[in-house]
Amino acid sequence: MVDVRNVRGGDGLEPIRAEIDELLDSVVEATATATEAFFASYDEAPDPARLAAWLAPRCWREIDYVYLLNEEIARYGMRFQRRHITLLAKQSFQEAEHYDMVGKAIESLGGTVPTSVPAEAEPWSAFLWQCLDRHPLAAIAAWNLSETSASGSFEPTFRGAERHGLDEVVRIYKRIETDEKFHVGLGLQMLSTYVADDHDRDEVLRAMRGMRDIAWKTFTPESVGAAGA
Amino acid sequence: MTGTWTTVAVESVQPCATDVVAITLAAAGGMTLPSWAPGAHIDVDLGAGFVRQYSLCGDPDDSGRWRIAVLREAAGRGGSQRVHDLVRAGDRLPVRGPRNHFPLVDADRYVFVAGGIGITPILPMLRRVAALNRPWTALYGGRSRNSMAFVDELRAVPGGELQIVPQDESGLLDLVTPLGGAPGEHSVVYCCGPEALISAVERASAHWPAGTLHRERFSAPPVTGGGGAFDVVLRRSGVRLTVPEHVPLLDVIESAGIAVENSCRAGICGTCQVRVCSGELDHQDDVLSDDERDRGDVMLPCVSRARGGILVLDL
Repeated sequence: MVDVRNVRGGDGLEPIRAEIDELLDSVVEATATATEAFFASYDEAPDPARLAAWLAPRCWREIDYVYLLNEEIARYGMRFQRRHITLLAKQSFQEAEHYDMVGKAIESLGGTVPTSVPAEAEPWSAFLWQCLDRHPLAAIAAWNLSETSASGSFEPTFRGAERHGLDEVVRIYKRIETDEKFHVGLGLQMLSTYVADDHDRDEVLRAMRGMRDIAWKTFTPESVGAAGA
Repeated sequence: MTGTWTTVAVESVQPCATDVVAITLAAAGGMTLPSWAPGAHIDVDLGAGFVRQYSLCGDPDDSGRWRIAVLREAAGRGGSQRVHDLVRAGDRLPVRGPRNHFPLVDADRYVFVAGGIGITPILPMLRRVAALNRPWTALYGGRSRNSMAFVDELRAVPGGELQIVPQDESGLLDLVTPLGGAPGEHSVVYCCGPEALISAVERASAHWPAGTLHRERFSAPPVTGGGGAFDVVLRRSGVRLTVPEHVPLLDVIESAGIAVENSCRAGICGTCQVRVCSGELDHQDDVLSDDERDRGDVMLPCVSRARGGILVLDL
């Protein structure tokens, strides 16, 4: 299978490629560890309501991406190639599908689908939107890192959900896993294509570093406890 | 980001070869222009919906002026003809940039190959490499001597080996001599020109390490779904299908009732990757490595095609 980190674009990220790879690798590892820890705790006390609460910030991310991608297009779209506007819109549609799919999984577990930002997702959401306001490429960098972090949760989620016979959760996240490859590849292609100077690169790194410190936290078992589930 | 439009003054418009004009742009009011590095281009708004990209081919150290060169393309979509027919000294033009998708990387040795107006990004690269005292070879081909811009400026670049090859006098560029032998360690190849030249350079340098060749096309590679019709055999299904011109291979496979998992349908995610049993491939994706492309045993049918003949897939 291909590695979407190798997606072709421009050379705008080359001077910071090593640090970007390090950031992406570290957040994948942190998210995988957090997800393993959650399912280890779930193995001890398999309460569907708790799993539903753990999925809620994941679900919110999907719909927040929809809002954000459309705002990215509205504000900055005419700076991008038409092809990239089309692909951002396609990603937005897929994120809306994911919101619906994860929402159904939450409901099947007896939970409530979030219609406003859950408390445990507020730092993530606030940082993402702040990035959008700062720089045309910063939100792309932040969500690219966030989407990459989610890739660290897939395998532990499949294993954990399979242990408890949650076939629908596995099926949903298998579909999401496929689409995430596209989203991660698109983000990296856009960054490498449109990053033009050191200022752009500084903003990309700021966004990725900031998101690296946030993205994995809602995957921990403690985040569910903090949410009061 | 240098993504905002600004207005610059046209300082001069000078013919520099048959059907080629060099245009010098200056910041309004004596202001400085954004800095740039060899390989960079700017967007120029020519009005009436015509926005075109032109490589900067002047002196990167001159913060007061940019230079572009534009070939009149009679068979083009009208942008270059507007430049030649309408742009005059004293005009003001909206521009955006510079941006650089074709930057000069650090290397021990450089081979430059330019065709026609593809010399524009190569000229400042050559000067930069010469200033660094790095060894270089440059091949510059064109239809005729009169059609080739900046020949005198190229000849003035010190060091290296320059070959000026007008096709009507000397035929096509000899790519075998500079590219056919063993690749030099830490050497890079830069190519800018028409699609046929880039394809020839890709073939001639195919044995060079992946990532060695840097290329910039005048225009985007053939659009997704483009290319001629061809037949595809799905080996495991025992189905033979015709893929019409301008129809993606993936669409044809799906229309036959054969599911191929996919997501982006744009050559980015790699989800639809299929194994190729035989056929000459025209890779149009953005994600397979050079090695994977060269092996020819996988492809992404959402955007890639066969170059004709029969394609056999493991489906």
